[in-house]
Amino acid sequence: MNEQKTDGQKKANKKIIIGIAVLLIAIAAFSGIYFLFGAKPVAGSKSITIEVVDDRQETTAYQLQTEVEFLRQAMEEAEGLSFSGTESEYGMMVDTVNGLTADYNTDGAYWSFYVNGDYCNYGIDSQPVLDGDIFSIRYTLATP
Amino acid sequence: MNSRKDNKNSISGIVSRKVSGKDIATIGMMVAIIEVCKYALAFLPNIELTSFWLIMFTLFLGWKVILVVPVFILVEGCVFGFNIWWFSYLCAWPALVLLTWIFRRQTSVWFWGILSGAFGLCFGLLCSIPYIVAGTAGGSLQNGLYAGFTWWVAGIPWDIIHCAGNFALMLVLYKPVCTVMKKFL
Repeated sequence: MNEQKTDGQKKANKKIIIGIAVLLIAIAAFSGIYFLFGAKPVAGSKSITIEVVDDRQETTAYQLQTEVEFLRQAMEEAEGLSFSGTESEYGMMVDTVNGLTADYNTDGAYWSFYVNGDYCNYGIDSQPVLDGDIFSIRYTLATP
Repeated sequence: MNSRKDNKNSISGIVSRKVSGKDIATIGMMVAIIEVCKYALAFLPNIELTSFWLIMFTLFLGWKVILVVPVFILVEGCVFGFNIWWFSYLCAWPALVLLTWIFRRQTSVWFWGILSGAFGLCFGLLCSIPYIVAGTAGGSLQNGLYAGFTWWVAGIPWDIIHCAGNFALMLVLYKPVCTVMKKFL
């Protein structure tokens, strides 16, 4: 009886170890995909455009020649462009651009970021800057 | 005993069942627990108890969870707006409930830890489905797959944190919460 129980326990333990091993292999595989296909910053000079679309749909464009690798640094370099926000684990969460604050809690507004027409997949601290990129920072209202 | 329980949880059993006032109150409580925990842990990126509670509610409250998921997703949409991420929730959370229901006879804390961790790891992958659909609708299938793939890849580090968080929370909370739920339900 005890032997049977021990055998059953051994089988159960084996299944747990296999399950954990599969999970770890999956984590390793996902990490590999990230390092292989994830966006990487590029060193060297780049010519980029940053557009700001405010709450009246008026656009202000900033063109700059830069050596920086990430969007936040490029925004800091853009003359005339000011922004602020709160620092978080994801990087800076921008709430004010050129003095205009988007307050989600008050009116469901936020600043959305696009690169070459597509929604940015990364925060401004980790969004890579590539030569010829056009970034768009848009005052956006949530649609409930 | 098992067959009676199976009949109670079968699709026909669920469809023919009437929702009582007590059921509505229970469903409301379940959604409230999920939302409160979600807000309480919001300061920790990708550490959440929604997965844990949906697994526990599926195991202990059976068919009622079928109504919890849409109510929870609807509440999320009302609070944060019905953007593309909202459609991601439509794919991810029902998938977790379905998986839990399939494996509902499992009682090992390790099993549920592994399942919850795997769900956290695959959360981004499940959530990329609406991006594939949107990209395909806006261009071609190739565009859609590219949009979904790049979106998923960008979030992989956060999915790994999600996996670790789900795994650890399940190992810590499964037994005490099971004990309490067995006592009161």
